Amino acid sequence: MAVETPTKPTIADKIYDKMFHNYVWKSIFRTGYPNTPRNQMLVVATNVFLHLHPTRIHRTHVKITHTYCLGGLTFFMFLGLTVTGILLMFYYVPSVERAYLDIQNIETTVQFGQLMRNMHRWMAHAMVILVFLHMMRVFYTGAYKPPREFNWVVGVILLVLTFLLSFTGYLLPWDQLAFWAITVGTNIAGAAPVLGPKTRFWLLGGFEVGPDALIRFYTLHVIGLPLLAAIFMAVHFWRIRRDGGLARPL
Amino acid sequence: MATAVVARPVARPQERARDEEVLVWPDLVFVEFIAAMVFTLTTFLLSAIINAPLLDQANPDVTPNPSKAPWYFLNLQELLLHMDKGLAGVIVPAVWLGLMAVFPYFDTDNEGQGVWFGTENAVKITIVSGIISFVGTWLLILWDNGNIASYLNNWFGLSGGDSLRFLENARAFQSQLPWPAWSTHIPYLWFDLTILDQPFHHLNFPAWLVEQAIPVAFMVGLPSIMVFVMWRIGWIRTRRDALLSVFTGFVMTMGVLTIVGTAFRSESEELVWPWQLKLSEGIPGQE
Repeated sequence: MAVETPTKPTIADKIYDKMFHNYVWKSIFRTGYPNTPRNQMLVVATNVFLHLHPTRIHRTHVKITHTYCLGGLTFFMFLGLTVTGILLMFYYVPSVERAYLDIQNIETTVQFGQLMRNMHRWMAHAMVILVFLHMMRVFYTGAYKPPREFNWVVGVILLVLTFLLSFTGYLLPWDQLAFWAITVGTNIAGAAPVLGPKTRFWLLGGFEVGPDALIRFYTLHVIGLPLLAAIFMAVHFWRIRRDGGLARPL
Repeated sequence: MATAVVARPVARPQERARDEEVLVWPDLVFVEFIAAMVFTLTTFLLSAIINAPLLDQANPDVTPNPSKAPWYFLNLQELLLHMDKGLAGVIVPAVWLGLMAVFPYFDTDNEGQGVWFGTENAVKITIVSGIISFVGTWLLILWDNGNIASYLNNWFGLSGGDSLRFLENARAFQSQLPWPAWSTHIPYLWFDLTILDQPFHHLNFPAWLVEQAIPVAFMVGLPSIMVFVMWRIGWIRTRRDALLSVFTGFVMTMGVLTIVGTAFRSESEELVWPWQLKLSEGIPGQE
């Protein structure tokens, strides 16, 4: 009968042990390295970022063609836009005198400034497209059906907030493209029956796009709408878990 | 029938099927990680290759021709060429968003969730609704632009003469029909009503007809006919099926409007082929 004799630990085992079983590591991550099912569940349950997820999930939901990760990627774009947006905020002053020059400065004199601006722009377009595709995915997979009715409503609100976030950002470069796109866009809002002219005035802080419109759009773009979106996103993600995870056939 | 007498309980989260579950780490976390990396790299590479546009500094005195809204609002901008601005730009999107928000309160059946195109005819309904909306939207744009009338005239020599000119486009109903003078001046009430500084005194009936009534009739009527026909031929059997048709139709219509507004509208909102597109930045001396 074969008897199992403990093998001598190799160098790799020793390094592994030193890295993941020391005092400092354990103070940061209460669970060990996630290489056993127990640790893998614990790491999801105890990590603040991962605990959005349940520890286990129905196997059909990890199939890429079920969701194409569209909702998660929309959120990822939001995070990316926050990071690049904060970097741009260091150099940008929302005044009619400075806005355009600051954008030129970001493009020409700031290290990686052009790259940051480009990423912010293309991620913003990507977020609009992704949130729309996510809505199509949810609709065509019937995932709005009970018990997820209310989360669909929250999703519609987030769709509108995404459009508004993108629209308010559109004015900030203060070039001809920005100025006239916002003029056209707010004229559309101003055409609303009865409330239109008042709404337009309230949006722009005046009768036409000017300094007051710029500061309004800036404030909404960098703090007002992101905060609102973050609140609705928190509700959206929370409700996914509370309503029993992703939709699956009954 | 049985469901009609059984009280429907409030929908609850499904029971978990524990033996069907996999671990989130690694099975889901890695998929998310890869998706995030793919998008980071893609936007990074895109940003390295293509610069974000920056035109000349904003100048309220120089109007570009055409002035365009951000691309995701060009569907509305295209729509408001064809009808009242308030209707196209505010009422239609607001009503649609409201309708969309109550989808789950209209289709309360929880069957068929969690799978793509959950009903028997769903794929068929989606494809056919998409094609109908694609073709229909293009035809309506071409008609309202006067293109259909000129095709009939140029290619087939069909000319209705002056008596049929009112069919040329939607607004020709107003301009080409002999409306009596009183019809453009119908008082709403026996006194002059003003709400928030805006006068509501008289109804211009021909203008109301072409700016509001005909567009609303098309926007409500055509999808209704589509759903009705699909119901009569037995494709649409549930509310879910009806929603599939309406939603697909709306998305396709908005898609066509966005593409037309983006790539087919040139100076003075003239309808042209994309390769004839002229975008003047409105800079004097650079026309």
